[in-house]
Amino acid sequence: MLLRHEGFRRLCRARDLLLDMRELPLTIHELARDVQISPFHLIRQFEAVFGLTPHQFRQASRLELAKHLLATGERSVTEVCMEVGFSSLGSFSVLFRRRTGETPSAYRRRMRPFISVPGMVSTDLTPGCLTLMGRLPASAFAPVRNFREA
Amino acid sequence: MRIRLTSIMVDDQEKAFRFYTDVLGFKEKRDIPVGQYRWITVTSPEGPDDLELALEPNANPAGKAFQTAMFAQGIPVAAFEVDDIAGEFKRLSGHGVAFTTEPTPAGPITLAVFADTCGNLIQMYQRA
Repeated sequence: MLLRHEGFRRLCRARDLLLDMRELPLTIHELARDVQISPFHLIRQFEAVFGLTPHQFRQASRLELAKHLLATGERSVTEVCMEVGFSSLGSFSVLFRRRTGETPSAYRRRMRPFISVPGMVSTDLTPGCLTLMGRLPASAFAPVRNFREA
Repeated sequence: MRIRLTSIMVDDQEKAFRFYTDVLGFKEKRDIPVGQYRWITVTSPEGPDDLELALEPNANPAGKAFQTAMFAQGIPVAAFEVDDIAGEFKRLSGHGVAFTTEPTPAGPITLAVFADTCGNLIQMYQRA
């Protein structure tokens, strides 16, 4: 699949719209109309470029932001739910639990100990690879062949 | 001082692992759980075996903002060398990879740019 400049720009615009947490849920038809690609091609091209369908992408982005807010902010679960664009606390909690394996409040309780300074982001929550390196076993740097190669 | 490890930020490590191995054809080197993330590195089957690319989790909002902006500006964040860019273009297209630039002569190289499905544009190039 080759995307010309205009097609690429439209997909980036679709991503921006999906990342806008304040936006009420857009239907795929509304999104497609906005970026002027047919719904069929939008879903197909979006998935090829971003690895998820528009719907999956929006859900994943919202849950990712919710996790960050729950761990680092002072807001209640209900406020976080609204902040990331869910109108129903029930559906937010069900989806959160399905994707992460725990409820929003359980996730927050588990992550809170990692926050030493309010507002500061712990490397446990948002590591770069170079901070992960310090927590690896020595074998991670040994010149060994892994079992798949053996 | 040596260059032995480099990294690329990805929005989902499992998705990235599948793309970089199953589609691009890199080999798993290490896959070690670290907290809620993984230390995943891959190498090229064409070597060298001790030059690793880490698939770095991008959970930091600052990293996400950077990655999103670079992508929207069409700027690749890594470049991989290939021997046969026309062949690779055809092979990757067959896997459904989306290109933003088809193989195009540019000075001493021919280059092409594709999306890695994890929030990045990647350049591949063949030396003339």
